[in-house]
Amino acid sequence: MAQYQNLFTTVQATGPLHDGVPLGPGNSPRTGKQPWVSYWLGKLGNAQIGPIYLGGLGLASLILGVFAFTLIGMNMLASVGWDPIQFVRQLFWLSLEPPPPTYGLEIPPLNQGGWHLIVGLFLTASLAFWWARTYRRARALGMGTHVAWAFAAALWLYLCLGLFRPILMGSWSEGVPYGIFPHLDWTAAFSLRYGNLFYNPFHALSIVFLYGATLLFAMHGATILAVTRFGGEREIEQIIDRGTASERAGLFWRWTMGFNATMESIHRWAWWFAVLCPITGGIGILLTGTVVDNWYLWAIKHGVAPPYPDVFPAAVDPALSSGG
Amino acid sequence: MAMLSFEKKYRVRGGTLLGGDLFDFWVGPFYVGFFGVTTAFFTFLGTALILWGASQGPTWNLWQINIAPPDLSYGLALAPLMEGGLWQLITVCAIGAFGSWLLREVEICRKLGMGYHVPFAFGVAILAYVTLVVVRPVLMGAWGHGFPYGIFSHLDWVSNVGYQYLHFHYNPAHMLAVSFFFATVFALSLHGSLILSATNPAPGTEVKTPEHEDTFFRDFIGYSIGTLGIHRLGLFLALAAVLFSALCIVISGPFWSLGWPEWWSWWLNLPIWSQWPLS
Amino acid sequence: MLHSSKLWLTRGAKLAALASLVTLAACERPPMQSEQSGYRGTGMVQVVNPRTLDDRAAANTVPMATPMAPAAGPKASEIYQNVQVLGDLSVGQFTRLMVAITSWIAPQEGCNYCHNPANLADDSKYTKVVSRRMIEMTQNINANWKTHVADTGVTCYTCHRGQAVPAEVWFKADHEPKGANFIGDKAGQNSPAASVKLASLPNDPFTPFLLGDHAIRVNGTTALPTGNRSSIKQTEWTYGLMVHMSASLGVNCTYCHNSRAFSSWDDVPPQRVKAWHGIRMARDVNNEYITPLTEVFPANRKGVLGDLAKVNCATCHQGVNKPLLGASMLKDYPSLASGAK
Repeated sequence: MAQYQNLFTTVQATGPLHDGVPLGPGNSPRTGKQPWVSYWLGKLGNAQIGPIYLGGLGLASLILGVFAFTLIGMNMLASVGWDPIQFVRQLFWLSLEPPPPTYGLEIPPLNQGGWHLIVGLFLTASLAFWWARTYRRARALGMGTHVAWAFAAALWLYLCLGLFRPILMGSWSEGVPYGIFPHLDWTAAFSLRYGNLFYNPFHALSIVFLYGATLLFAMHGATILAVTRFGGEREIEQIIDRGTASERAGLFWRWTMGFNATMESIHRWAWWFAVLCPITGGIGILLTGTVVDNWYLWAIKHGVAPPYPDVFPAAVDPALSSGG
Repeated sequence: MAMLSFEKKYRVRGGTLLGGDLFDFWVGPFYVGFFGVTTAFFTFLGTALILWGASQGPTWNLWQINIAPPDLSYGLALAPLMEGGLWQLITVCAIGAFGSWLLREVEICRKLGMGYHVPFAFGVAILAYVTLVVVRPVLMGAWGHGFPYGIFSHLDWVSNVGYQYLHFHYNPAHMLAVSFFFATVFALSLHGSLILSATNPAPGTEVKTPEHEDTFFRDFIGYSIGTLGIHRLGLFLALAAVLFSALCIVISGPFWSLGWPEWWSWWLNLPIWSQWPLS
Repeated sequence: MLHSSKLWLTRGAKLAALASLVTLAACERPPMQSEQSGYRGTGMVQVVNPRTLDDRAAANTVPMATPMAPAAGPKASEIYQNVQVLGDLSVGQFTRLMVAITSWIAPQEGCNYCHNPANLADDSKYTKVVSRRMIEMTQNINANWKTHVADTGVTCYTCHRGQAVPAEVWFKADHEPKGANFIGDKAGQNSPAASVKLASLPNDPFTPFLLGDHAIRVNGTTALPTGNRSSIKQTEWTYGLMVHMSASLGVNCTYCHNSRAFSSWDDVPPQRVKAWHGIRMARDVNNEYITPLTEVFPANRKGVLGDLAKVNCATCHQGVNKPLLGASMLKDYPSLASGAK
């Protein structure tokens, strides 16, 4: 490849480090007197690391979050007899389990899901403070609050999975375990229990937005990189004063597929596709078990499940003849 | 006409790969080019074959239409039309159409003096498709391993191929691919939000600057990747998701025939701790 | 010196190649054999690594049967004392079967593994008491569980394969929390257990489903909720049993199911009906034949909870869809085919 594709920065210019746009009254000072410079990070993006704004909300969120994380870790460590070697060896299999179904929505004993509820409480509180942080930091800089509302969409899915649906189902046991492989077992079991989640139309929609968002970021990332030679990555400037970068980018897509976005509107396409993934996903989760018990049968009922020719000899459910 | 206000000056001749000036023109907003013609040909033929296949099937219900690949017993041969041969022809048309679309994008890039990043990215997506319907079936010895063309029928295929390995979530490449997909959506929501929050600021205030963008993210998480970096990152995350997806399916079958949870035994049996029993 | 981006491309390509090699080192390699069930394009396929077939065949060779003994002559119950089962066999047939059983169960230890050499009729060794019941169990399986074993049937060898304790048995798991009583409960799962092929699924699905008769089905029969209260956790337990079944038979889920609708009985492989009966058969064996022998066995044969080694699908199947690859030993040992007195 003879041509430079602008994938990695070849020459890094390090100027005076940026302390950030000054914050108004009512804000704490930033943390990190001397921000670091990372040469390797600078090959991909900005080299500067820091300063960071801690603040009350951030501190609260971090403390609650670290506490929740530690509780999960403690449960995992205890479950292998406090053996640190087994902890590392079995890490992907370990978990903090929700309560068994027998307790319904009652508070169960600590070791029978009580810890799971406590962690859920602290984690949710941590995320709530973090959400408030995304709002405040934007407002402190006089910016729009789009990040906060995008985060709210993700929080919607998180709350559907861990709070709303278990309450609607009358059982904390429906919640997701905190563990690498175990949360995957939960995912598979969820689909198995409810008659194949592929037939849940909101699941399908959520995947459309997941793949669509990936498609869009590939398209947008590639398009901008393709016009960086015209200053295309300076998107704010291009939005308020359209230059040849935006013009070529737009025309590329217009000539390819017949229509195009603008430098601003592509970010609206992006925002909505990304945000609709967890929103529709959460709806799909909420409807499962509450409104629909078997998605395959629902699909049959609504005429969307494809028919296949029979290939096996007719079989009768043996439970019917033998009485179970 | 269908031209944007600034478009006229960009409509110049040149940039073609094949055919010179012969197809160097536009139809409405669409650029044609030699590969526009081949795209139209493959698309028309492939779509017609799909419609004909649907007409020979039991339904016109959009959700239920299904064009199935051949039985495994046909191996890598051409199957009879109604026994999967139609699927094979449609697949050829699809690859022809996707390839043509890619090359047409290249011609458009050349005409506009842009880098080839977009057709390159599209090439990765085509690679994933070809992996599913050509590479993996060839490695497994039969075209019948490809996925059926149908909205819900292709999902039945995904489900069953997943359960061929008992618990597909344990496939390590699948785990990476899913993580990259979620990371892409996450990063896209942040990037879209950031740009919009700078250009649609607090009511009554001025449009903000890239310094505000950087400051927001440094305040927020201690690091801002910057205007160029985010596009590199976004493209990388999206392509990584697709590449690991292709990897995860090509190893399932040709390079692993058991359940995926069992693959992890190498970790559990590492010499550093294999002498102790699993507690 | 390569141009900078070319250098990175080369390094990136080398890294990717190295990563692929590392990943693939833990994998198998093509070609693979695949067999389709189900309609084309549904993905109901069994994938087998042909390089494992020789080992599989070797592990499933049937021992040579000795020539049949004549049925003529006095009955074993007339000549020997304390013959409670197999009494109708001729002495020759009886002896032949005893020799066979010895080779199937205790080839190194010989007759004295079960018998008191000074008095062959004596029941002092627990192994003799157990074996008697095991013979009845074998006859019961062959006579009353043709829904699962058909006419192929089983003999002692099917499970034991030359060992006193079969290679594939299970004990009830001790699910007490390891670390303390107030923290660290694994809830019977979240371990890399061989019983569920290293998934973190519940690792003793046998106690509720192959000893108890807990419901395995978790799906509702209507699209909208009509009272099915099965939980996600229950589903994980069923999933654990199913993973065990698949691994025991060396097959995947699509051998019995079309996963688009696991619970549907529309157009299902016939193997699923067989499996349904197999579950009931395992329960019968564990409850009627094994568990009642608990007091007979010594402590060193019991699990941590004081229970006996019990059967699951792997005990007979041992990794192939038909035990001993479908070979029938019954034609050479018809006395095990039924408990006809």
